[in-house]
Amino acid sequence: MAKVLLINPTVREEDVPRHVPYGMALLAAIAIKAGHLVQVYDENAWRKGDAVTRQVLEADDWDLIGLGGITTAYGAIKKIVGMAREICPRAVITLGGGVLTSMPQDMMDFLPEVDVGVIGEAFVTFPEMLDMIDAGNRDWKKCNGTISRNAEGKLVLSPMRALIPELDVLPYPAWDLFPLEEVYFKNSESLYSEEGMMAQRRLDINGSLGCSLVCKFCFHLGIAGDMRYEEAKDGGVDVAFDRKGSYTRTIRYHSPEYIVKMVKHAYDTYKIDFIAFIDENLMTMDQYSGRTWLKEICRLWHEYGLAPKKNPDGTWTGVYWGGTSHASLCTQEILKIMREAGCSQLVYGYESFDQSVMKALGKGATPANNIRSFFWTLEAGIRPIPNQIIGFPNETFDSLRADMDAWQKLGIVVKPHFATPYPGSEWYTMYRQHILQQYKGDLERFILDLGDASKSSAIICHNFNAIELVGLRDMMMSFNWRRIDEYEKIWRINHRIPDGKPSTLYPGFAPHMTLDLPEPKLSLATAG
Amino acid sequence: MSDLLKGNFKTKNEVVAPEVAEETLEDRFERTALKRLGGSIAFVSKKKVMWEFKPKS
Ligand code: B12
Repeated sequence: MAKVLLINPTVREEDVPRHVPYGMALLAAIAIKAGHLVQVYDENAWRKGDAVTRQVLEADDWDLIGLGGITTAYGAIKKIVGMAREICPRAVITLGGGVLTSMPQDMMDFLPEVDVGVIGEAFVTFPEMLDMIDAGNRDWKKCNGTISRNAEGKLVLSPMRALIPELDVLPYPAWDLFPLEEVYFKNSESLYSEEGMMAQRRLDINGSLGCSLVCKFCFHLGIAGDMRYEEAKDGGVDVAFDRKGSYTRTIRYHSPEYIVKMVKHAYDTYKIDFIAFIDENLMTMDQYSGRTWLKEICRLWHEYGLAPKKNPDGTWTGVYWGGTSHASLCTQEILKIMREAGCSQLVYGYESFDQSVMKALGKGATPANNIRSFFWTLEAGIRPIPNQIIGFPNETFDSLRADMDAWQKLGIVVKPHFATPYPGSEWYTMYRQHILQQYKGDLERFILDLGDASKSSAIICHNFNAIELVGLRDMMMSFNWRRIDEYEKIWRINHRIPDGKPSTLYPGFAPHMTLDLPEPKLSLATAG
Repeated sequence: MSDLLKGNFKTKNEVVAPEVAEETLEDRFERTALKRLGGSIAFVSKKKVMWEFKPKS
């Protein structure tokens, strides 16, 4: 049986660790169920430094060392795979998750220590790889959903891995292999509602995979039917995601029984008091199910005794919960039912209160729907979390003013994110040249620069540069209309746009975004 | 035995958490001040001082 070490790399160092990596926890459970020997080192949770990571790597003769995570974990991953190659020369080093899936060829080039990249969903690929290790077979091109290196060191892409049709076959995540008591429960607080703030023992769960929307900033990790293998210009194969005119999706959700039984299991075993649904969007699933899914989850939440009851001291029995909603897809009826079952908070990606920004975004929502859902959610007794972004490609002074106007009227207190082209998103595909230009052609520098979108990295706004956006955000947050009006005058002079004409350079790229850099050359062979 | 590694078997070598040195008063001060940065709060991060002061003789 294969000896497996899974390492969850450090991510979001500026905050305490709050989230058990769900995909990795599922893979650990799958590997154990298949009879393998599994250890997990949650570097992100422990944050004990490199000396401990070295000890972990030296703790056994690992057959496979697996890492995964989102793109912003790249820096930590680079460091760990370097140590792993040196300490465990025999082990197969594997990387999966969004960091690899969004740009498989680039990642394999950046990280020569990685033997096999797992592209997209790993529920079948990962145990299949472990079986191959047991059989002494390292012919990875025979394992679908991988990218590996041939004898000459060229990258080899095996055929795409199909998604599993039925999610309920999955075991529960191996929560026991992560430091719940030592780390995660201590960081249960979820500052989105009163109940979220008071949570003492929060866990995340995922009820669905996929999202029917095509927001240009979003990435679906290659596990939502969003990924395609396409013929590349050079005759090889490109791993492609959302692109104008080419969107694909597969919607999958767990049955309400599976979800609520899993929550009941966590309630009985770990005494949890809060659940954060990490689903991309609960409402898109509900709509897809013909408005049955959330109703049934809520009904079972009551039936299994999970609907929370408050004690006089503010604590409660049962489980409060929260997730992500959608401005156009929520209904008054379902919001009320959700509140009664313990939903205390719902994230709304309102993004902007400007009509043309919303139209270009592909979200299927309008400022009017944003406002309607805002009031419906408050009326239901749920806190809406009104996420905002600035620096959209077609952002203008007027769209920023529309945001400020809405914030003022709706009492929204927010520090907006900057529009960021994370790898895998449509923006990344659209603006790749412009991103490279901002990093002198060095893609890895961009990846290392990515973090929370509260800080600026690559800018994709046609009208404002990073310095302008930081300044404008500051003025917006303090509702300094006067300074913004003044700056618009200067901006118009600088860009030679007379009064009365719209203050925009869009469409047509801003002068600082026109340099065309050649695509980096890659060697890529395709498995037959 | 430390619980840094969690799994379904006993590893050959144990992973021992290093003794965590007590936070020094200097570190505690700088960490606390950082949280309140702004207004009249500004401080020297002593470990980051790179220049040397060489008085002209
Ligand atoms: C939980 C979460 C986080 C957590 C931690 C994520 C983690 N450690 O995995 C935290 C809170 C840290 C986080 C932060 C951010 N996130 Co986030 N997050 C999510 C979320 C909601 C769920 C991820 C998840 O568990 N999915 C479900 C599981 C099943 O998928 P999975 O973990 O990817 O695992 C599968 C495969 O990827 C693969 N796999 C994963 N690990 C491994 C390991 C091995 C060895 C193998 C073989 C395979 C493998 O196998 C699994 C099964 O198929 C997703 C949205 C979503 N619903 O998916 C966004 C998402 C991952 N986040 C995203 C973004 C943009 C961010 C932020 C940058 C946003 C921001 N605020 O600015 C920040 C990062 C800030 C920072 N400073 O680093 C993007 C990803 C962008 C990218 N290119 O990577 C997503 C997809 C949201 C979106 N739709 O755009 N996030």
